[in-house]
Amino acid sequence: MGGYIAKRVGQALLVILLAYTAVFLAVQALPNDPVTIFLSADASADPATIAQMKAYYGYDQPQIVQYLDQLGGLLTGDFGYSLSSGSAVSTRIGEVIGSTLTLAGSAFALAILMAVVLTAAASLSRSSRVRNAMLNLPPLMISVPVFWLGLVLLQILAVQLGVMSLFPDGSLLSLAVPIIVLAIHLSAPIAQVLIKSVQEVNRQPFVDVLRAKGASESWIFYRHTLKNAVPSALSIAGITVGTLLAGSVITETVFARAGLGQLVLQAVTVQDIPLVQGLVLLTAATFTAVNLFVDLIHPKLDPRIITAHAGSPRALAA
Amino acid sequence: MRTKHLVIKTAALLAAAGLTLTACGGSSSATGASSAPSKAAESETPVEGGTFTYAEVTPINNWQTQAARFYEKANVLNSVLDRLTYFDVESGKLVGWIASDFSANKSQTEFTFTIRDGVTFSDGTDLDAEAVQKNLDALGLGIKSAQIQPNVDFAAYKSSEIVGKNKVKVTLERPDANFLRATSSVTAGLVSPGTLKLDNAGQTAISKIVGSGPFVFESEKADEEVIFTSRDDYAWAPQSAANQGDAYLEKLVIKYLPEVAHRAGAAQSGQVDLVRGLQPVDEGVLSAGGGQVLAAQGVDLTTNHAAIRIGSGKLDDPKVRQALQVGIDRQALKDTVLSDSYVIAGSILNHQAPGFVDLSAELGYDPEKSKSLLDEAGWSVGADGIREKDGKKLEVTVASSNNSVVIKPAFELIEQQWRQIGVQLVNRAADNSFLTNAMVDDQIEFFGTRQFAYGGLGPVYAPATNNQTLNADKELNALFTREQAATSEDEHLKLVEKEQRELVLDKALTLVLWDEVQVYGANKDAHVDFTSGTAPIFQGAWKING
Repeated sequence: MGGYIAKRVGQALLVILLAYTAVFLAVQALPNDPVTIFLSADASADPATIAQMKAYYGYDQPQIVQYLDQLGGLLTGDFGYSLSSGSAVSTRIGEVIGSTLTLAGSAFALAILMAVVLTAAASLSRSSRVRNAMLNLPPLMISVPVFWLGLVLLQILAVQLGVMSLFPDGSLLSLAVPIIVLAIHLSAPIAQVLIKSVQEVNRQPFVDVLRAKGASESWIFYRHTLKNAVPSALSIAGITVGTLLAGSVITETVFARAGLGQLVLQAVTVQDIPLVQGLVLLTAATFTAVNLFVDLIHPKLDPRIITAHAGSPRALAA
Repeated sequence: MRTKHLVIKTAALLAAAGLTLTACGGSSSATGASSAPSKAAESETPVEGGTFTYAEVTPINNWQTQAARFYEKANVLNSVLDRLTYFDVESGKLVGWIASDFSANKSQTEFTFTIRDGVTFSDGTDLDAEAVQKNLDALGLGIKSAQIQPNVDFAAYKSSEIVGKNKVKVTLERPDANFLRATSSVTAGLVSPGTLKLDNAGQTAISKIVGSGPFVFESEKADEEVIFTSRDDYAWAPQSAANQGDAYLEKLVIKYLPEVAHRAGAAQSGQVDLVRGLQPVDEGVLSAGGGQVLAAQGVDLTTNHAAIRIGSGKLDDPKVRQALQVGIDRQALKDTVLSDSYVIAGSILNHQAPGFVDLSAELGYDPEKSKSLLDEAGWSVGADGIREKDGKKLEVTVASSNNSVVIKPAFELIEQQWRQIGVQLVNRAADNSFLTNAMVDDQIEFFGTRQFAYGGLGPVYAPATNNQTLNADKELNALFTREQAATSEDEHLKLVEKEQRELVLDKALTLVLWDEVQVYGANKDAHVDFTSGTAPIFQGAWKING
């Protein structure tokens, strides 16, 4: 077990280092250095100031020095300076990360809940029409674009009915609506995999044994089937973190919310490359961390994963 | 069972959404454009008090004075920072503001400002000659220790000194007839000497900037809103302002509405009193719904145009450039891509700019003339319909930033129009990363843009600062230099007129499109005017029902 954890953590760190290197190389491949690119949006950049700014931010150093300097900075939590605001990249991220965590965290929790409810309804309902409806809901949910749903809800609730604000004003509705919009999109793939996986588990002989023993359907579902079906849904949930971050860009723009998604958009628009760099790295690190977490709790849910790694005869037998 | 209801509700909601969208689309086209804007004109007595909410298109993170060259910053900073002078659109004259009086020497190299008495910054320090002198230095020379660039309109700045009580004298390296006008720009806004001592992050943070304007920072929520409070003791508005006292409004709230589709609805429903960046297609929707569509003319700016660079050799013959100039159907551009809020360009200067010459008679759409000019220049139609000369195709490229919502569709239409005269346009408009290099690359034939041009064309086209045509025509350089050194108003205007004829007709170094305008959406109860730089004047704004 210890070896497994060490290996996974090591791999995660390597992925982050590779992500950093890729981002660094991508920036080097740009036609100009970040300062020149940023200031050129102004059409009137003063060469002396550009040179002075480049020196100040370290962009006049040889590439290998920049690579190591920035890497060293990252290890101490220094992401460099955002050119568009003059403040540290970490400060800019810190200002808005709370808003994104609230949105993304709640949407993720709601998405899991929705997926479980959908799966339960699809598996337990006595009416075959309800079961079929539930099976067809996830494809519908993933087909509805996040921005469209957001625009339509705001058009109805904020503009036509006037019951909510177009801006985040701290009211329950202005928080709940974006969360729901994002959760609907997010829960679809999780629900799809969970339903599929439940169906597979249901076909296994032990379920028949339970039924023969007189166990009720819901008891079988919650105590046995769901437990066995969760690991595959968990892997998908880990991957949807990517969808979650992409969805945040759109949701935050539509709902005029501050946040990382909105920040990415601004940074790209004004060509604030150090800020883009910081955000890309943060995203890569989050993605890696979540998937690492999924990898680490997997064996807890399904011990066969570890034993299969060990190549033991028992694992092979299973 | 609960889930069953959810399905039904979801389906009902989606259906309702579809209906609602159809419904509002239908009503707008039925009613067409209303006369709502004129309501604002019949001003009643201003109402005191109230909170005014203004939505910008993108969050603002750099509030440093020189960075106010971008609309989103200038629109707000205009009400936070005062300037030495103010350009009064109505009279077309520069009037006093923080400088109660100003004058220039005969050769336009020395300017003396008399600083108004009794003006203070919001932190209580005096806005006196000393504070002005420090600001002028920061604008003219930049602040190296805080990585702040000099103001581009102060390119000729040499030094300034305090001469006698309340008088500051600026000395320039070379004559600049447009310098005075540039002191009216938001990018020449005055901040307290304490602000000038802050580091880069400090000088760009609205919470730390101290100005003398009618509104003072109260609080902010990063990337969501900034709240300003009216300054009760404000008593130094521009000489031409109707309201000489403090703002009628109690509070000013700046919000951001990045989603363009919500802007008309936000103004109509009263969730904001004013919003910038209304799309042409939303103008009818808003006025039909009872809101106001307000077009703020960019008097301080050139028209929207495509500046020509001749490095690729394809456009070095003036005849080819003249062919392209009359190969654009500007009326079609207005009818399809723009709206009634946009005025077709009559020159490189906009219609209200001092010295504007109306050249529209010679800018009429004439594809036949284009074709014969291109034939004369030796470009003959090739097998694919595109003209060729010496094995080179007449394929030209345009680059522009994405700052204007209409620039890309505009060039898409021009691309179609030019096909008919055998010219292939590669449309790279609204591509910022392409522009980065294209801006200084004379191989890329067109730079689609509009520029602040305070007073004349010298600041934009003179050799030292010409980022437009990149000095495509050396002969013209002397003309722009002479304009900047003009010593009388008459002489200046004459030279500006000659410049326009040369740039637009004789040399055809710029393809002029439409006057610069910023289209705002306002609630029916809002009353607001705009500066010559298209910024809302919140000091004079008010709303019915406070």
